[in-house]
Amino acid sequence: MGLIRNYNLRSMVVRKGTAAMTAMGIAMVVAVFVMTLAIAQGFQKTLVASGSRQNAIVLRKGATAENVSNVARSQLQLIESLPQVARGADGQPLASPELVVIISLPRISNNDPANVPVRGVGPRAFQVRESLKFVEGRPLTPGTREINVGRLAVGRFQGVTLGSDVRFASQIWKVVGIFTADDAAFESEVWGDVELMIPAFQRNSYQSVTVKLTDPSAFESFEATIAGDPRLDLRPQREIDFYAEQSRVMTTVIRVFGTFVTIILAVGAVFGAMNTMYAAVAYRTREIGTLRALGFSRVKIVVAFLVESVTLALVGGVVGCLLALPVHGLSTGTTNMTSFSEVAFKFRITPALLGAGLLFAALMGAAGGLLPAIGAARIPIARALREI
Amino acid sequence: MALIELRDVTKTYRRDTIEIPVLDSVSLSVAEGDFLGLMGPSGSGKSTLLNLLAGIDRPTRGSIRVGDTETSSLSEHALAGWRARHIGFIFQLYNLIPVLTAFENVELPLLLTSLSRKQRRDHVMTALDIVGLGDRTKHYPRQLSGGQEQRVAIARAVVTDPTLLLADEPTGDLDAKSAAEVLLLLQRLNTEFKKTIVMVTHDPHAAERASHVVLLEKGTLVESEKLEVQS
Amino acid sequence: MKLVGLILKSARRSKRRTALTVLSVAIAVFLFASLRAILDGFNAAAEASSSTRIVTIRSTSLIFSMPSSHVQTIRSIPGVRDLSWANWFGGIYKDPNNFFGQFAVDAESYLRLYPEVELPPDTRRAFLEDRTGAIVGDGLADRFGWHVADRIVLQVGIPVYGTEDFTFTIRGIYRSTGAAVDNQSMFFHWKYADERSLEKGMMGWFVSEISNPDQAAQVSTAIDQKFANTPYETKTDTEKQFQSSFVSMFGNLNLLLGSVGLAVVLTTLFVAGNTMAMSVRERTTEIAVMRTLGFQARTIFLLVAGEGLLMSVLGGVIGAGVAWAIVDARNFPVSGGFIPPFGVSARNAVIGVALSAMIGVLAGMVPATTASRLRIVDALRRVA
Repeated sequence: MGLIRNYNLRSMVVRKGTAAMTAMGIAMVVAVFVMTLAIAQGFQKTLVASGSRQNAIVLRKGATAENVSNVARSQLQLIESLPQVARGADGQPLASPELVVIISLPRISNNDPANVPVRGVGPRAFQVRESLKFVEGRPLTPGTREINVGRLAVGRFQGVTLGSDVRFASQIWKVVGIFTADDAAFESEVWGDVELMIPAFQRNSYQSVTVKLTDPSAFESFEATIAGDPRLDLRPQREIDFYAEQSRVMTTVIRVFGTFVTIILAVGAVFGAMNTMYAAVAYRTREIGTLRALGFSRVKIVVAFLVESVTLALVGGVVGCLLALPVHGLSTGTTNMTSFSEVAFKFRITPALLGAGLLFAALMGAAGGLLPAIGAARIPIARALREI
Repeated sequence: MALIELRDVTKTYRRDTIEIPVLDSVSLSVAEGDFLGLMGPSGSGKSTLLNLLAGIDRPTRGSIRVGDTETSSLSEHALAGWRARHIGFIFQLYNLIPVLTAFENVELPLLLTSLSRKQRRDHVMTALDIVGLGDRTKHYPRQLSGGQEQRVAIARAVVTDPTLLLADEPTGDLDAKSAAEVLLLLQRLNTEFKKTIVMVTHDPHAAERASHVVLLEKGTLVESEKLEVQS
Repeated sequence: MKLVGLILKSARRSKRRTALTVLSVAIAVFLFASLRAILDGFNAAAEASSSTRIVTIRSTSLIFSMPSSHVQTIRSIPGVRDLSWANWFGGIYKDPNNFFGQFAVDAESYLRLYPEVELPPDTRRAFLEDRTGAIVGDGLADRFGWHVADRIVLQVGIPVYGTEDFTFTIRGIYRSTGAAVDNQSMFFHWKYADERSLEKGMMGWFVSEISNPDQAAQVSTAIDQKFANTPYETKTDTEKQFQSSFVSMFGNLNLLLGSVGLAVVLTTLFVAGNTMAMSVRERTTEIAVMRTLGFQARTIFLLVAGEGLLMSVLGGVIGAGVAWAIVDARNFPVSGGFIPPFGVSARNAVIGVALSAMIGVLAGMVPATTASRLRIVDALRRVA
């Protein structure tokens, strides 16, 4: 059907102005679609990237987030002694007792106070979380008021650059290192020694313990052992699952919002495409009659016009994707209501998202072209031939 | 047996509640190899008759047989396929697709067959050579004169080697010289290539080229006897 | 006006095209009005803040508390006329997804400071007299089907309140007369929470009423200075600033929703402009004939522009009308209840219609100009 392809393509181009405007309408919708879903995607990736398949996080039973959990010191020792916990080169268990509190720091962008997470970590925290790398300075020294700050936090909140003195909990803490974590949520955090954090914030226990398991498959027995011990009213989760759950509400809200807006906008664009296709059919009525007189069936006519509108829409889709692409990697942030802490993340456009955008464009084209195409095929041949 | 047989063909159009009769119980036979002229005043129904023959319209009553097929009883979809195979149509306004070249226009009906690309090309070039436009394959309709356009349309009509050629006022929009060329071509198709042609016209010059002429007036054949035309 | 008559006739010629264009604009305006409503919803509380209320929290962050000794100190600051306090309870009602605001407050003073909380006097008394009593907003009561005298049980969310569930009796359902207080919250007695708290006498935040709104900054600073360099340093702000910081927690909403709004407008411009251009192109012969009859170029311009404007405004009215009628947070329960209630106000509806008029004018500019500039000779020649 090479000729028919030429016919469709060339017919589209005859009325360049109209085709361009219709394509642009669709492009805008696809751009909005891709951009809003890129927000959800970026947010989710940041949170989920925080989790490693080989790690497990232990919280109080029933705690939905770290800040409403507590784990006693005695429980830490019990957890560390379990055989499923991996050991470091020095034979010590790879476990990090942690505590997260929120402090208020002004945002660089608008000076408004932001809820910045401060995470007290155990001395082996960086071994438990291997994806963390230092880009400036060095890890904090346990027992001192040295702190490390995630790179995204440095870019988002005031006063936490390397060498800064940060004041919170009535004490001064010094930033001695900046780390990256592959865009994980940790990059929005400030890390310090948990043993100093606990008294500084008038707490009396840890909130969680994160351990590195000997092997990802050790999780089930780890879970079973903890469940079986009456001294531990705790619940372990795979780190990945924990963070997936932490991001669930916000991701859903963003996605629902994005989809809602996009669908409504799409209906408008589809109406525009319909208008264009109806006009094209009206303009080419005699042509359609000729094709049918030559023996092209009604189905072929419908397909031809559908192909035209879908192709036009796909052109718009490509333009829309190109319009959206610049936001990829753009930093932004929001407060994760589940943990009440601010998370910096980046817009994230994936090939799958672009594919979805194109598919969406094609669907809009099909929807807009269907009725006009059917109308085109149903005009009685003799009447069509009489049109000017 | 005649190639074409119309039996008591009637066609009425309905506009709202008013019925407009166009053809009234027309019966006609056309032999194979015949070049029939269909004449009559404006509104006599001759174009409608042609449309019915081509299968692009359906009779309200009566039957139409072309070759072995009762076209009046075929479904819309079957008619489309039948038309592609058996009919070559030549329009007054040429009806070439503006966005396709002359070559592509002529190739159009062949897309409905299962011929290969090379085979199609051969057929197209043959058809264009017959009409004398082998050197204008890449031209678009807007780059051709009226006469040339009509000749491309004729090439398109014969490229599938159809059973029947139907021409609706083929010279209606042409100047005298082009008209003469086109009519000569049609005559050649009939005498040399043995094509059966039914041509609607109100131009006496055109009618002269036909081998037989029938007259339609207000939807009926005025004379059931065909007039022999002196060539 | 004969012009209007001509415009109407011409719009009726292609009913389908007119309908599709009107609907496109309607959809765009609907969306635009809804987005504005959401934005307004977020900003509503801050907008409606009282100028005589200031909020004191721990300087470290909102999640830390302050001891009850702060009460006397704050009261003693000149300019502070009244004082109340509240704790965020953060309990769970059956399922963590059933999120709503739960506040343990010093009831009597809190109700004084927040006259927006409207309660019939007898229920008010019943609430004040019941240690485990609670009042809930009418929106919240609707959401869960609660009535006065119902007992509701909340599981502890924040560990400091122990492990046992809290049981409350609903003593009243309040209406909110101002956006500073939403109707989706629950208030109960601070004493009840404190009794069971593992850390006694701790308060989440203080709300002070000041006698002179112009002194807000001074009084705030005075309060904070009192606690500077103590273990429980404070940060005091006007209620408006306090509420605004909540909105900015979500991110730059103005930018986000503004960008989406812009995209909506642009899309519609393309669609509407396209339609009008097509309409003009199809009617070149007609326009030429009118010109030959003596119609001036200016009239043609007004006809085309008028038709465009008419279709757009009609779409705008429909879109704004529908948005005003159906967009209400109650019809769109958003997961978790985090997003503040919103609805399309009359003001947003009017802005929507104005927007549609602007779209109609902009989109019609080029087609109307083209139509008015048409050379009669060109137009009468048949378009190939």
